[in-house]
Amino acid sequence: MGVTLHKENSLTRFLRWVYAGVERTIFMGLKFTFPSRFVSPLGFLGMLTFVLFIILGITGALLMLFYEPILDRAWNSVKTINDVIPYGFHLRNIHYHASNAMVMVALLHMYYQYFSGRYKIRNEILWVTGIILGVLTILEAFTGYDIIFSERAELAISIAASLTNSIPIMGPQMRDAFFGSGFHDFVLRFYAFHVFFLPIAMLGLMVVHFPRFLVFDVPMVMAITGAIMITGGVFPVDMGLKFDPSVPPGITVPEWYLTGLYAFLRSAYDKFTTGVAWPGLFIFILLIVPFIDRYKKFSWKDRPIVTAIGITSLAQIIVTTYWGFYIDPDRTKSLLERLVIDPVFLYLVMILLVPLSFGFTYMMIKLARNAEANAKIQPKKPSGKSSINLSEKSIYAIFIALLAFQVYLNIAAYYAVLAGMKNYSLFIVGIIMLVFAAMWHVYRHGKSMQKAPPPKPTVPPMPLKAKPPPLPKTGPTAGELTAGSKVLEDSITKEKALAPATKGTTSSSQSVQSVNKTESTGPTHSENKVVSDEKK
Amino acid sequence: MAEQPSPKSGGKVSRRDFIKLMAAAGTVLTFAPFVDWGKFLPNPTGQSKERQKVELPDGSQANVNSFPVNHSEAVIYPKTNDPALNKESFRTWQFIRLPEELGGKKNDISAFRLYSMVCLHLWCLWKYWPQEGRKRGECPCHGSMYDPLTGKAFAGPASLQAPPNNVLPRLDLEIATDGNMWIKPPNWSVNGNGIVGYGRYLT
Repeated sequence: MGVTLHKENSLTRFLRWVYAGVERTIFMGLKFTFPSRFVSPLGFLGMLTFVLFIILGITGALLMLFYEPILDRAWNSVKTINDVIPYGFHLRNIHYHASNAMVMVALLHMYYQYFSGRYKIRNEILWVTGIILGVLTILEAFTGYDIIFSERAELAISIAASLTNSIPIMGPQMRDAFFGSGFHDFVLRFYAFHVFFLPIAMLGLMVVHFPRFLVFDVPMVMAITGAIMITGGVFPVDMGLKFDPSVPPGITVPEWYLTGLYAFLRSAYDKFTTGVAWPGLFIFILLIVPFIDRYKKFSWKDRPIVTAIGITSLAQIIVTTYWGFYIDPDRTKSLLERLVIDPVFLYLVMILLVPLSFGFTYMMIKLARNAEANAKIQPKKPSGKSSINLSEKSIYAIFIALLAFQVYLNIAAYYAVLAGMKNYSLFIVGIIMLVFAAMWHVYRHGKSMQKAPPPKPTVPPMPLKAKPPPLPKTGPTAGELTAGSKVLEDSITKEKALAPATKGTTSSSQSVQSVNKTESTGPTHSENKVVSDEKK
Repeated sequence: MAEQPSPKSGGKVSRRDFIKLMAAAGTVLTFAPFVDWGKFLPNPTGQSKERQKVELPDGSQANVNSFPVNHSEAVIYPKTNDPALNKESFRTWQFIRLPEELGGKKNDISAFRLYSMVCLHLWCLWKYWPQEGRKRGECPCHGSMYDPLTGKAFAGPASLQAPPNNVLPRLDLEIATDGNMWIKPPNWSVNGNGIVGYGRYLT
C-alpha cells in the first residue's frame, strides 16, 4: 500500500494555518466531539435541533428568492415554487418537514433534559434560554405556515390576531403594532417575523444556550436529513386552497404542535383564558421548574414528584393534541356541534389525567426499582454485546457496494426529476443521505479498527476473564493479584539478601519473613492454577 | 484643596450620588424620544382623518333619496389607489338600508347601517340577505348570523363569543343637504366604532 492521503501540500498547509488562526476566535471555546462509534442520539438532540435550524436557514433563504409576501400573490408564488421552479418542490418540502422535525426534536430534547435532571445545578441558564428558544421555534414554524395564505393560514392568522386582541388593556394596540391593520399587513409582517426577527432572536439566544461541549455525529445528522427527505417524498406537503373570504373553507386544523392549544380554543370558552393564559402558564412553569426541583439526585427514579409532573404534562399534551385534530365525522350534525368541545368534559379529562399520571409514575418507579434489585441479586450475565468484527477486505467490499448503490441512486434520482416524479426523486435523495450515513459509519468503524491494538497471536485470554481463579477468602482480589504478588516476591528476595547480614541479631526480621511466607502462599498457588488453566 | 472644608456629612446628597443621578437623568432623556417612535409600528393607511364618500360598486355616491329600502351594497373604506389593497376584506363594509319594519322607510341616517363585512368568528365575509324570512347578515363559512339593526350576532359561532367579540364594528354616517351620504372619520376602539375582525361593545 504505497498510496496514502497523508501528504503535506500547499492546500493542507493553508488549512492548517486557518485552523491555527481560529484559535483567536470564539469557536475555540467549544469542544466538538466526533464520536468514533455509534452513540445514542438522545444525548445530542440539541445539536440535531441546531442542524435542522441550519437546514431550514439554507432552504428558507433559497425559497425567499421566489416567494412574494404580498396579499394577492403569496399563495400564487408558493404555487409557482412548488410546480414550476426546478427543485422548488424539493426545497419547499425539505423546509416544511424540517420545520416539523425541528419542533419535534426540540421537544424531545427538552423532555430528555427534564427527565434526566440535567437542567439544574448550574444549567439553569441553559434551560431557561432553551425554553425561550422552544417558544420562538414554535412561533417561527407558526409564522412560516401562515405566509402561504391558504385557508388554513388564514384560520391561523385570525386566531393569532384575535388572541392578541383579547389581551387586556393593551391587546388591540399590540395587534395594530405587531400585525398591522389588515390582511396585507399580516402577510407582510408575518413574513418579516419569519425570516428576520425570530431567527435573529433565536441566533442570539443560541449563543447563550450552547454548552461548551458539543457532539457532532455525522451519520446521525445525515440520517435525520435523509429521513426528512424520505418523509417529504412519501408525504409531500400540499398547497391548501387559496384563501377567498367569500368562499366557505373546508374544515382545517392547525399544525400538530398547535392542535393542543386548538383543543382548548375549540371549547369556546373565553379567548384570553384558553388561548393566552393557559399556554402562558405552561411556559411559565417550564421556566421555573429547575428552581422548584429541590431533589439532590438526577435520575428520574429518584425524583418521583418531578417525574410525575413531567408525565402529567406529556399525557395532557398527547391527549389535547389528538383532541385538537379530532372532528366528529358525523356530517348530519351542524358544523358548530362538530367543532365545539364541551369545556366541562375537556377540563374534567385534564384534571383526571393528573392522578392517573401520578399513579403511572409511581408504578414505573416501583417497577424500575424492582428490576434494579433483581439485577443485583442475580449474577451478572455476560453482556450480550456482540461486536461486529469485519475484516479489512469485507470493509472494502461494503464500501464498493455502497458506492455502486450511490451511483445507481444518483441516476435514479436524476431520471425521476426528468420524468417529473418530484416526490420520488426527493425520496431517492433521502435514501442517498442514508447511504452516506452508512458509509460514514463503516468508515469510522474501519478507522477505529486500525487504531485498536492488533489482536494477540496467542490464544485469546477469554477463559481468564470468564472464569476467575478460586481465591482464598482472605487473599487479595483478582485485580491486585499480579501486582501484589510481584511486590511480595521483591520483598522476599530483599529479605533473603538481607538475611545473612542480620541473621541472629534480631528476631523481628524472622517474624516478618514468616508473615511474608504465609501471605505469599496464596498468590503463588493461584498463579500456578491460572497457568494450568491456560494450558488446558 | 486641603484647606477647603470637607463636604458636610449631614448634606442630603453627596457629590458622587448627585453626578450619578444626573447621568441617569441624561440617559433617560436621551432615549425618551424613541418611546414615541413606537408609532412607527401600526400602519397609518388603516386610519382616516377625513370624511369619505359612501361610494357604491358602480362608482356613484349613495344617496338617501335613491337607495332602495331593504337593500345592501359592499363599500370600500378607507379606499386607496391600490386595487390590491381595495380588495382586502378588512376594507370591505356592508352598506345596508334597513327593511321597512326596522325603519328603513325613513329618509334619515337611522335607516342606514354600515358594518364591517369581516365575520367576527374566523374572518370570512358575511353579507346581507334581504329575502323575506331572512333579512339578516349571514356568514357563508360557519353560519354566523347578524342582526342588521344592531350588528349583534344572534346565531352561529360568532354569537357564542363573549362581548366585544359578538358585535360588528360600525361606521358612522352623515347626510349632506343634497342627500349624498358620507362616512365620518372613525374611532377604532372597542368602545368607539369597534375593531375590524374583533368586535365592539354595544352601547
